[in-house]
Amino acid sequence: MRKALLIGSFLFMIAPGLPAQSIGSYLGDEAILMAQTKQVNQFFRRFNCEESPDGKRYYPGDSLFRDPDLRNRYISVLFDNQNANITDQIKQDFIRTVNGRENPTFLDFHGGEWFAEVTTKFIYRGTEMPLTLFLQLQEEEVGSKWVITNVYFEPFSKLFFNSGQNGMKFLHPMSHELDFMNLIHVFKDKNEIELYTSREYHPDFLTLFIYEVKNGNLAFKTVQQVKFHFFQVPDWYFELVDFNRPAANSGWLIANLLKINTEEKELMLKFIYHE
Amino acid sequence: MNRTFIFSIIVFISFSGAQVFAQPEISPERKAAIDSLALEKVRDLSKYISIIGNKETPWSEANRVIERTLELFMPGSQMGVSSLFLDEVKYYGIREYLERLMQLNYDKVRIQWFNIQYISDLEQQPDGRFVGVITIFQRFEGITGDQLVYKDTTKKDITVYVERKQTQIGGRLIGFWDVLLGDVRVTETLP
Repeated sequence: MRKALLIGSFLFMIAPGLPAQSIGSYLGDEAILMAQTKQVNQFFRRFNCEESPDGKRYYPGDSLFRDPDLRNRYISVLFDNQNANITDQIKQDFIRTVNGRENPTFLDFHGGEWFAEVTTKFIYRGTEMPLTLFLQLQEEEVGSKWVITNVYFEPFSKLFFNSGQNGMKFLHPMSHELDFMNLIHVFKDKNEIELYTSREYHPDFLTLFIYEVKNGNLAFKTVQQVKFHFFQVPDWYFELVDFNRPAANSGWLIANLLKINTEEKELMLKFIYHE
Repeated sequence: MNRTFIFSIIVFISFSGAQVFAQPEISPERKAAIDSLALEKVRDLSKYISIIGNKETPWSEANRVIERTLELFMPGSQMGVSSLFLDEVKYYGIREYLERLMQLNYDKVRIQWFNIQYISDLEQQPDGRFVGVITIFQRFEGITGDQLVYKDTTKKDITVYVERKQTQIGGRLIGFWDVLLGDVRVTETLP
């Protein structure tokens, strides 16, 4: 009975299309705020069914902790319902995968396979420019912390190229006999220096970024947007975005959902990192 | 000894058990007690902000309350504010934020807090302290004459640092959980 009441009250809270309430009408406002997924932490808890509809933490041993029925309802409201690309069919497939009776999948804050993409503004040599930082949670001997793992910055990207014409420019194999005096040719055209590097060479934008910050050429201004990429559910990818809008379907929601295999995962990561 | 400090001691005595200064595991009961302590601080913050923003509060009193408010925070904490029409975070030191609030040019300022809050789990950071985030919602109204000239609703995500400290009471070293507020993210929202 208690379970039914809880589920009922939650379904009331998450009813789509609740209008924004006028000023002073606090009850309606609070129902929407209650339904909103207010923190990423709450997304984890709702996804796993580890809290009550009013946000009270469930712990192992509590009757509704990870309850499959309640969890089904929770997960079904964690999608951006204004995104037509997330069809009912794909939602159901996903829910069946993560909430199957046999082998359910739960999100683990410390489980890796998820990271943040933070769009920022930096001042680069006097001009304000967007710069994307990628961060992930790193476990430490005590506790954990977010660390910067990668950077995307257009001026860095433009500086390097993938011409694929590695056969055209090279240091010939007898250069050593000339004390590499032919390096003079290498540095004549600074735009093509990469052609003289090994095929394993890959520009490290994070090092460049730190170098430019330390030299005072890049200065942080502000954060513009944050989103998260999740690969924790085997064979699935989803993106988590904060929707700030006057509706119950708001806050941290799944904004993109794709079924992917290992190869597609690699492609997706390259796409996210702009590689 | 203020009320919050006494509450901290109670939190410690009630839930610390025998593991006085060992690296703590936070049980659900202890977490609930720490949450209460953190909410107490957030309620203090909301009360102080209302006093500072109230035009009827004398200038000297508002300044005194600003000092009290700063005691709630870790030194160096920032307010990161964004509006519906500006997709970037503007940063203010806590003192600067409070002084701007005090100087708002309305006859009357009304700050109301929605009866809803969300408290995250506590996560341990590499220095051993625990960190969490409390989310609350606030409605601000600026009134000049009889006219409501400005209103907004904001979501405030408030960092909460939880740390075990010790103090001497009656010659005995007593450990207790202390809570300090940290950076606050203020997002204008449409409820």
